[in-house]
Amino acid sequence: MSRPEKYIGIDKDINGGMTSIGKIIRDAWVFELLDESETCEGWNLAGIDALLQKVNAEWDKYGCMVSLLPEPLATRHREIHARAIEKAKTAGWSGEHETGDEE
Amino acid sequence: MAKTYDAGVKEYRETYWMPDYTPKDTDILACFKITPQDGVPREELAAAVAAESSTGTWTTVWTDLLTDLDYYKGRAYAIEDVPGDDTCFYAFIAYPIDLFEEGSVVNVMTSLVGNVFGFKALRALRLEDIRFPIAYVMTCNGPPQGIQQERDILNKYGRPMLGCTIKPKLGLSAKNYGRACYEGLRGGLDFTKDDENVNSQPFMRWRARFDFVMEAIHKAEAETGERKGHYLNVTAATSDEMMKRAEYAKEIGAPIIMHDYITGGWSANTQLAQWCQDNGMLLHIHRAMHAVLDRNPHHGIHFRVLTKILRLSGGDHLHSGTVVGKLEGDREATLGWIDIMRDSYVKEDRSRGIFFDQDWGAMPGVLPVASGGIHVWHMPALVNIFGDDSVLQFGGGTLGHPWGNAAGAAANRVAVEACVEARNMGRELEKEGKDILTAAAKHSPELAAAMETWKEIKFEFDTVDKIDVAHK
Repeated sequence: MSRPEKYIGIDKDINGGMTSIGKIIRDAWVFELLDESETCEGWNLAGIDALLQKVNAEWDKYGCMVSLLPEPLATRHREIHARAIEKAKTAGWSGEHETGDEE
Repeated sequence: MAKTYDAGVKEYRETYWMPDYTPKDTDILACFKITPQDGVPREELAAAVAAESSTGTWTTVWTDLLTDLDYYKGRAYAIEDVPGDDTCFYAFIAYPIDLFEEGSVVNVMTSLVGNVFGFKALRALRLEDIRFPIAYVMTCNGPPQGIQQERDILNKYGRPMLGCTIKPKLGLSAKNYGRACYEGLRGGLDFTKDDENVNSQPFMRWRARFDFVMEAIHKAEAETGERKGHYLNVTAATSDEMMKRAEYAKEIGAPIIMHDYITGGWSANTQLAQWCQDNGMLLHIHRAMHAVLDRNPHHGIHFRVLTKILRLSGGDHLHSGTVVGKLEGDREATLGWIDIMRDSYVKEDRSRGIFFDQDWGAMPGVLPVASGGIHVWHMPALVNIFGDDSVLQFGGGTLGHPWGNAAGAAANRVAVEACVEARNMGRELEKEGKDILTAAAKHSPELAAAMETWKEIKFEFDTVDKIDVAHK
């Protein structure tokens, strides 16, 4: 099976978007690096990687910690992620997938 | 008068079944669970196992007269029923210490399990336990640093340490891998860990990974004021290559490296452990392939034996199973081998599957690593079961946090500190766990989100390898 060259878009991603790339995009929304209507559909890996570096740079300002985010960023983070979790749960995501059987 | 013998086939029990034998303090003792072929008497089979794991052959041959067979032979000295299982029995065998090279678990295991497992008169055979006499223990190097020295090196006391196996956040680039390590360490973990499958593949060569991970450690240490570590996996195709990677890890300032002691081999592991001791490095041990050997209740080598082998060969951490969560592990049996890892003297305790007293003398202990299939809701039970001298390793329970790696790490750090504080105040963790975590989550949005994420998950698989007394 050939690997897809383009990202499918957070709205169509597996696990209701509760994926590594989905988390990058949501953080980009939080930090207003992207408009919330941007799903990144059609982006290639380099584009997502570049976005990740920008998101990382934003997180570095707050020590990577949600609890260190100032208002109104904290509220924005809470709201965007709460909606995403709700949506992912509706799509069947439960968190169990992540606690696989690795040692 | 010179020794004489009659040529021809001799029954094993004439030579190796010695029910009146009293084991010496210096003997290496072994307990085998034997499942015989139909019609083979127990005593004959116990004697056969003693013979085939020491000095025996089917026929008495002339060369036997060139060695002192009576001194070097294994002696089957007792037989016991297995509780609740008529298909098999326990055979206890004593081996003279001089049968084995000093400080070599390789030599001990080559004798004890080298050939006998293919013996036709056996349907199945399992090495349940070994008693290593203190005289033999003292010839082995053991853990490079030990539990107390590790705490002193890392300046971490009074709580379990926290870890996480890292999966790259995006693709397999070493840079993104290092970033994931930084996030976990910054969020509150003490350690991150290479996946055991990550050695030095074309998609991520070891040197680039080591460099980016060290950058992550330095950054996290600078921001948190805590010592941090990442288990840099130095397992390699050859021991020369393994040592090259270990030397580089030391050169760049890594405090801890990692080895897979079963797939990598005990000879390589002992070499690496001795080097770690000489060079002030901590050694994390992964146990890939262990279930091939230890999962079948009737055949193979029990994990408590593999635990003893590792403590003698050398390692500061060893994966132990979790008791709670998704992975295999009988509670009592797991508590038994946790004692074997940490304690200086372990009494025989059949309720935990321990067949012999084991004196470790002054040999340092190994930290058990509870890893895999666990999340914050398991924290109260884990702290209760494992105590402070342990590493609790949440892989998916960290990286699977919907807010990301740092949030997952922070959730686990807040949870472990809340549980330890509650325990120290005399509260019962497994009874009051929900209240303890809920109170802590009021001050930690990361923990609150983790509790919400995993709240409905239950793991209710039964274990395959139960302790024998539980079969009754």
